[in-house]
Amino acid sequence: MKFSAEREAMLSPLQAVIGVVERRQTMPILSNVMVMAKSDGLTMTATDLEVELSANGTANVAEPGEITIPGRKLLDIIKALPEKASVTLTVEGERAVIRSGKSRFTLATLPASDFPVIENIEIKQQISLAQTDMKTLLDKTHFSMAQQDVRYYLNGLLFELSGQQLRLVATDGHRLALAEAKLLQPVTTTLQVILPRKGVLELQRVLGNQGDVHISISSNHMRISVDGVRFTSKLIDGRFPDYSRVIPQDPNRIVGAERSSLRAALQRAAILSNEKYRGIRLTLKSGVLVMQAHNPEQEEAEEELEVAHTGEAMEIGFNVNYLLEALTAVDGDQVELGFTDGNSSCLIKSPGAVASRYVVMPMRL
Amino acid sequence: MRAILHIDMDAFYASVEQRDHPEWRGKPVIVGGNGKRGVVAAASYEVRQFGVHSAMPMREALQRCPHAICVHPRIAHYQQVSQQVFEIFHQFTPLVEGLSLDEAFLDVTHSQAAMGPAEHIAVQIKQRIRERTQLTASVGVAPNKLVAKIASDLRKPDGIMVVRAEEVTSVLDPLPITRLFGIGARTAPKLAALGIHTFHDLRLAREQLLKAVFGKYTAQYQARAAGVDDRPVIPDWDEKQISAEETFDTDIHEPARLLSALNALADRTATRLRARQLQSACITVKIRRNDFTTFTRQHHFQPATQETQVISQIATQLLLAWLKEHPRTALRLLGVGAGELSEAQQLELFAAPETQRNRALDTTMDKIRERYGTQSLRRADHLKTPLRK
Repeated sequence: MKFSAEREAMLSPLQAVIGVVERRQTMPILSNVMVMAKSDGLTMTATDLEVELSANGTANVAEPGEITIPGRKLLDIIKALPEKASVTLTVEGERAVIRSGKSRFTLATLPASDFPVIENIEIKQQISLAQTDMKTLLDKTHFSMAQQDVRYYLNGLLFELSGQQLRLVATDGHRLALAEAKLLQPVTTTLQVILPRKGVLELQRVLGNQGDVHISISSNHMRISVDGVRFTSKLIDGRFPDYSRVIPQDPNRIVGAERSSLRAALQRAAILSNEKYRGIRLTLKSGVLVMQAHNPEQEEAEEELEVAHTGEAMEIGFNVNYLLEALTAVDGDQVELGFTDGNSSCLIKSPGAVASRYVVMPMRL
Repeated sequence: MRAILHIDMDAFYASVEQRDHPEWRGKPVIVGGNGKRGVVAAASYEVRQFGVHSAMPMREALQRCPHAICVHPRIAHYQQVSQQVFEIFHQFTPLVEGLSLDEAFLDVTHSQAAMGPAEHIAVQIKQRIRERTQLTASVGVAPNKLVAKIASDLRKPDGIMVVRAEEVTSVLDPLPITRLFGIGARTAPKLAALGIHTFHDLRLAREQLLKAVFGKYTAQYQARAAGVDDRPVIPDWDEKQISAEETFDTDIHEPARLLSALNALADRTATRLRARQLQSACITVKIRRNDFTTFTRQHHFQPATQETQVISQIATQLLLAWLKEHPRTALRLLGVGAGELSEAQQLELFAAPETQRNRALDTTMDKIRERYGTQSLRRADHLKTPLRK
């Protein structure tokens, strides 16, 4: 195998895939990237067995072939070369040799035939939507996913397809985020799949701001191709809980507030909340929302905000981080908080809109 | 060498009554339940001259001393006074093992560096008790619990008895063997038949001779008679725990009765957690055998809880596991403690229906008890005697 390319033509596909290269070497080959040279250019592929990324670059291929090379070392070398430098990569025996100007590097390799690639997937459903919509949906929901929860199906993001709607739902069992967007073409069957956490985080990096994104779904995989990068992720084999059951349908106390003022007040009060539990007490009374926090050193913060509200006075406690994350993600300048009582969840959304909704369970303080 | 104190309040209930009623001072006072089955809970020193002692039936006590002043016990009041006394103990060491309201072991081995020798600590404790409560206590100072407890009894009332390691046998030897815990009305005559009347006799008796009386515990009893005892002082619940414990009127060995007592204690602990709005992630069961040996068993878990049912279940498992290791043991005390406390509890979106039911039940029970008293409502499994069919 032999090809030459400009530094940047190698760097951009490498940077696109390096995120899934294993840092913890469970299998030595997973710390390598697979480099394939074909007559039409080169492809770099990386995998952690759950998520696979592959990206293309232009190159002058003298001798087609494929090999795997230690990913981080390759990236560090290419990155450290001068801009616009011309790079030649040849495989000589069991070594890969990189030459550029007066620099020469010899790297260990492993055969490409040992590299675990996800073969062609059997597509069950294909959907398309604007790339910005997809990106927005992920931004509005991903933070509510669980991390290393024993309920493994919560360590990911639910993609629910029905009619002309894509709905994403994330929950860690304490709070829930839901966001919806319109598909370019309706689907004929409804479908629920769970994309694992790692896949969600990588997909966010892959997506750009222009054009449409096409998503292929098989029973075990999701594959998305964007701007020369192909993202393939395994799906979580599990049943997502019935989330619709925990979204308050008709909260009897509705609080309307300016989103940025509410967020700023909570952020200030949060400074003196308990670092471990992050508890904050909200008291709603005639036209005022009082936010109180204190820490084990008995330092206290109190914030008052004028709000419009229906329903009686009440008191409720929350993990302030959950409220802040929801308020950051929700649309609009105005925000609406729906409460039932001090032991029931709070619904956060933009007045009149339903495209994104947040549910936060209270905390007993 | 360890330094152990055994502190025993003198005629505690009776002394509290005499303190609170100056007109009773110097007069025979009996604290106890009236009624036919009533027994003497405490007898003032004035009434003891007539041969009245605690645990004697009231009727017999009044036959012996017809002019005695009889007082119904005010346990809640004695508890308050006891708390003041225990606070004083804690000023000297965290290693305080309470045996009852009026009696405790203190391990002051390491307190001596800062507070002077053990006998000096004993004097200070007595002084502070007198200043705070106008009551007197007797203190035994010794290298272990066994000798300390015997010693405190030798200088009653208002005394201090110090037994140094080298004096242990000379102090114990002349004492009647009935002073040794575990030798009572049944064992003493058997020993007397063998010519064993004192600690000295038991200490030097031939092992073969004793086997018939003590069986496999022979070596243990002979060691006790020699004043050998390495049981540690196990401190009561530390301040980072919420707990409830009960010393039984009579030792209990039936597992069913132990479990019902344990469940009631678990409920009390859980109720206290809820009243203080705390969650616990660690449950401890404290078990004291009738020979005063104390055991603790612990379980850590997540998520933290304040539910009676969850705490009951964990405590039950701990006790059952202990009973399996120690079958047919009679217990003197049980306790349930909740540690690793946190103020806040994040509620679950997808909570199990059982959890929701438990919480609703706990809240309702708490409200009823708040209004009508803690005894107004009990779980069936806490009843001491099972319901008749």
